[in-house]
Amino acid sequence: MTRRKFVQKVIKAGSAIIVGVWWLAKKTAPRKFVWAVKTRKYPGPLKPLRNIPKQSKWSG
Amino acid sequence: MCIIEPGQSGECRVRINVDGVLQTVVYGFPCSIHIDPIEKKPLFHFLPGTGILSIATVGCNLHCRNCQNWEISQANPEDTEALYPASEQLGKWWPPERLIKWTKRYGCPSLAYTYTDPIIFYEYTYDTAKLARAEGIRSVLVTAGYINREPWERLLEVVDAANIDLKGITNDFYVRICSGTLKPVQDALVLARASGILVEVTNLIIPTLNDRPEDIRELSRWVKMNLGSETPLHFSGFYPQYKMRHLPRTSLKMLEMAREIAMSEGLHYVYIGNVRSKEGENTYCPDCKSLLIERSGYTILQNHLKDGHCPDCGREIYGVWK
Repeated sequence: MTRRKFVQKVIKAGSAIIVGVWWLAKKTAPRKFVWAVKTRKYPGPLKPLRNIPKQSKWSG
Repeated sequence: MCIIEPGQSGECRVRINVDGVLQTVVYGFPCSIHIDPIEKKPLFHFLPGTGILSIATVGCNLHCRNCQNWEISQANPEDTEALYPASEQLGKWWPPERLIKWTKRYGCPSLAYTYTDPIIFYEYTYDTAKLARAEGIRSVLVTAGYINREPWERLLEVVDAANIDLKGITNDFYVRICSGTLKPVQDALVLARASGILVEVTNLIIPTLNDRPEDIRELSRWVKMNLGSETPLHFSGFYPQYKMRHLPRTSLKMLEMAREIAMSEGLHYVYIGNVRSKEGENTYCPDCKSLLIERSGYTILQNHLKDGHCPDCGREIYGVWK
């Protein structure tokens, strides 16, 4: 192996490692803004809505 | 930041990490749908005297020990009933299209995302507000403003007004009482005001916790310096709830004192809420002091505004009036 080829291999391997580490860090780092997927299935009980014009008892 | 491990839900209880995919279990499943007077939000400078279709899902990203809606904000979706439209056969949920349809059916010019916090049903709020705008319906957020910058900026693009809580003026208050921090809320307030939507601010005064005159003065100064003297500020009365049942209600005297302090600091529109007050519910012209809107509770008794201006001196009044 020539010296030139050896240096090229080292550069390639180093680049692959850097890209891999960057990709892994990006994938595992917590994200501040994640768009959640809707499930279309509510985990709790459902009941029919009655009397929508009635003012809410809740604050706000 | 809320870090959610696989199989776990977040602080809000309604956003779940399922094998690396974040899912929202409340999209389309409100636990409360009502038509309220818009003054109840409270919004005093946005379409006064109109009804507003108001929705909430279960959950919240804060855990205020004094929460007035704790039965739905601090509950699990598994234990809380969601509503479905009894008269429609199109499925037991409320897609944004159906909410808009019902808002129009009841003649409401606007839709509020309220009671708990629209931030935890963010995707539902965003999709509905975007569609509402296209259909000529305005959207109102009633929120604690505890959100990161990027999603907040995106949400502000599709809404028209917000009432944002500023629960206290010290970080210690947010940490001890709300399980949150102050800075994100202040940032959200500044961003909202800068975005051009109508912003009103609410401060709930809790006896012994945030009722010191110096705190109220500092809060008022912060509002004036960062949001402007035109920003309406509501001082709301506390009543014993949730984990704060041992504290007394806020007195009218206390609320009137807070209003006086805020006005002496240069805020033009300062209101009193949750307690009946003779003058604290009315809007006056900041220049000539004429009575512009007289209210009693959530009812408008008189509205003298002319195209958003004082009828006596012609001063423009901050707000969305039609």
